[in-house]
Amino acid sequence: MSRLALTRRTTLKSMAAGAAIGATAPAIAQATRTLRWWSPQGAPAQLAAYKYQIETFEAVNPGIKVVFEATSDEGYPAQFAAAFASGQVPGIVTHLPSFAVTSYFNQGLLSPFNDVIKMIGEEKFYPNANRVYDMGSNVYAGIGIGNSAANMIWLRKDLMAKAGIAKEPRTWDELRDAARKMQGGGIYGAPLPYARNSMTSLVFICFIHGAGGAVFSPDLQPTLTSDAVVNALEFYASMRELCPPGATNYSWGESLTAFVSGATATGLYTGRVLANTLAQNPTAAPHITCKLYPTISANVPFWTFNDFPSVMIPKQFADQDAAKKFAAWLFREDGYVKQLHAAPGHVLPVLKTISESASYQNNDIIKQYRAEVDLMAEASAGGFNLGKESPQHQTNTKGREVIGSNVLAELVQKVALNKENAKTSAAWAQDRIAEIMKRT
Amino acid sequence: MTSPLDRRNHLLGAMLIAPTILIFCAVIVYPLVSALYLSLFRIATPTLTGAWVGFSNYTELLGSGIFWRGLRANLVWTAGTLVLQIVFGVLAALMLHQNMLFRSLARALILFPYFISTVVAVLVWRWLFNDLYGILNHLLLLAGLIDMPVDWLGSMPNAMISLVLVGAWKYFPFVVIAVLARLQTIPETLYEAASIDGAGPLARFWDVTLPQLRSVLVIVILLRAIWDFKEFDLIFLLTGGGPIDSTQTLPLLVYQEAFSMQDMGRASAVAVLMMAVMLVFMTAYFRSYGRQEES
Repeated sequence: MSRLALTRRTTLKSMAAGAAIGATAPAIAQATRTLRWWSPQGAPAQLAAYKYQIETFEAVNPGIKVVFEATSDEGYPAQFAAAFASGQVPGIVTHLPSFAVTSYFNQGLLSPFNDVIKMIGEEKFYPNANRVYDMGSNVYAGIGIGNSAANMIWLRKDLMAKAGIAKEPRTWDELRDAARKMQGGGIYGAPLPYARNSMTSLVFICFIHGAGGAVFSPDLQPTLTSDAVVNALEFYASMRELCPPGATNYSWGESLTAFVSGATATGLYTGRVLANTLAQNPTAAPHITCKLYPTISANVPFWTFNDFPSVMIPKQFADQDAAKKFAAWLFREDGYVKQLHAAPGHVLPVLKTISESASYQNNDIIKQYRAEVDLMAEASAGGFNLGKESPQHQTNTKGREVIGSNVLAELVQKVALNKENAKTSAAWAQDRIAEIMKRT
Repeated sequence: MTSPLDRRNHLLGAMLIAPTILIFCAVIVYPLVSALYLSLFRIATPTLTGAWVGFSNYTELLGSGIFWRGLRANLVWTAGTLVLQIVFGVLAALMLHQNMLFRSLARALILFPYFISTVVAVLVWRWLFNDLYGILNHLLLLAGLIDMPVDWLGSMPNAMISLVLVGAWKYFPFVVIAVLARLQTIPETLYEAASIDGAGPLARFWDVTLPQLRSVLVIVILLRAIWDFKEFDLIFLLTGGGPIDSTQTLPLLVYQEAFSMQDMGRASAVAVLMMAVMLVFMTAYFRSYGRQEES
C-alpha cells in the first residue's frame, strides 16, 4: 500500500507552485474583460440561444468573457436602481420595456446607441422600428431587440364551436358575451389581471386605448378623467366575474398559464402561447388562434401594446467598446434567429432582413401558425406603449415611474374589486399621476 | 497631575476601545445619520443626486393617507401574527415538553418552518392558496364548504388573514425554542407542591408554569414584535402590498418609494418615521430588560 509522503522538500515545492499560480492569476484576470449581460427573459430555450451567442462571440473575441445574469419583469427597478447607485452596472441589458430605457437615458445613465445601429446597419431595420428610442436630434437611447404584440386575444376554436360562437369577438360586448357563453365546467372566460402589479397597469392601458382614450395627451398631460377611461374601467370591472378568483394576483406567468392549461377560454398574451401550448397542452394546440384584441366598438381602431423589448448599455460600464461590439453581435443572423426561435412569435424580428430570411421562416411553429405569426408581426410593427402612446405623442420619460407607482393597477382594483365609483377613482388616479409627472 | 504611567494606561484604554467605537459608528451611527440626512432631500435613487427640501418629505407623508394606512396595516399584521405565534408557540412547547414517542424527532421537525428560506416558504404557500390548482381550495370544494374557489391573497380581509397565518406558521418555532428551554429549567418540586395542595393540570399551568414563563415571554414578545414590525420579504412576496394598499406595510412603502418611485429621500423619511414608531417597542424592551436585571 502506497503512502503519501509529505516531506519538507515537497511542501516547499507546493508552496512555490502555489505562489507562482497566485502571482499569474491577476495577470490572467486583467487580460480577460468580463461583460455582464442582464435580461428578464430567461426561459430554458432562450438561455440555450444566449449560450450560443455568447460562445460564438467569445470565440472571435478571446479577451472578452460574457456572463448572463437573469433579472425579473417585476423586480428590475430595484436591481437597476442599486446597480446604478453603486456603479456596479452590467455591460449590456436586454428585453426591458422601451419606457424604462428612455427613463434611464433621461437620467443620464445610458450611452447613446447610434454607434451600434451603424454597426448593425441602419437599413436593415424596419422603418420606425426604433422611433420610441429617439430622444430627439436622432440620438437613440437604445434599440429594440425584438417586437412584441403583448395584447393579442387568444381563442380556443373548439370551445367557441361548443358554445355556438360563430366568429371571433370584435367589440367588448361580443367579447363579454363569448366569455360568458364559454365559462363553465371549471373553465373561466378570460385571465385578465386584477393585481397590484405592472401587468395590470400595462393591460389596462390597452383597454383605455381600446375605448378610444389615452393615459396622456400628446403633450403629456394626464387624461384619466375622460369618458373613454371611465368606459374602460366599467368594462374591465364587468369582466371580473368571468376571470378566475385568483386573477387578483395574476402577473404575466399566471395569465399565460391559465390559458395554456385550459383554465380559461380566452387569453391575453404574446406569441409565447404557441410554444407553451404545444409543449404543455398539445391536445389544445390545433384549436388555438389569435386576433387583435377587441375594442369598445368597431369604430375604435385596434391598439397593440408593443413592449419594444430593448437593448441598452449603461454609461458607467467601463468597457464601452466590448459592450457595443456584443450588442451588435446579438443581431447576427445565426444567433438572432436562434433567439427568436426560442419562443416563436413571442419576440418578433426588428430587422426586415431577418424576417424575410429562410433561416427564420424555417421553423415548425412559425410554419404551423403562419397566419397568427404574420398578424402579430404586422400588429407589433404598428404598436405603441406608455413611452409613446401614438405617433403624435411626445416620448414619455416618466413611463417607468407611472407603471412602478402602481397607480393604474390600484385604479383598476378600486373599481373592479372595491366597487368604487369609476369617475371618482379616475379623478384620484389623475391627481396621483400628475404628481408623479411633476417630480423631478 | 497625571503620571506618565496613567497617561499610557489611558491611551491603551482608548486604543482598546477604539475598534468597538469605530465599528459602532460604521454600522449604527453612519446609516442612522445618513438616513436622517437623506430624508431632507429629494434624491433620485439611481443617480443619488437631488435637492434640499427640508422637512417637506415628512409633512407630505404625514399629510397623506398613504403613511397612516401603511402604519395601520403594519400594526394589524404585527398584532395578529404575534398573538398567533405566542399561542401556538407556547402550546407546541408544552406538548414537546411531555414524554412522548419520537420527541426528539418532533422537536427537530417543528423548527422546520423557521429554518426554511422565506422565498421557498412563500412559493409553497402561494401554490397551496392557488385558486385553480391549490390543495386548500380543492379540499374545501370537495368537502362542500365552498361553491367557488376562495381568493385567498387578492381580496380583503382574506389577504391579511392569509398573511397573518403564514407569518404565524413561519415564526412560531422561535417561540417554541425559547419557551421549551425555560420549561426545562422549572423545578419539578414546584409542580409536586402544587399537586399536594390539590392543584389540577389547568391550575398548575396558570399558577406554576405561566408565572415561570413570564420573564422569557416578555423578551420573546418584544423581540418578535420588533422583527414582525419590520418584516418585508414575506409580505412583499405573498401579496405585494395589495389589494390596492391594504397589506402595504411601512417596509413595503419604503421599497415602493425607493425603487418604484426612485425617490430615496422620501423612502428615507418613511424609514425614519418607522424607526420612531419602533423606538416605542425598543423603549419597552429596555425597560423590561432593566427590570429583570434589577430583580
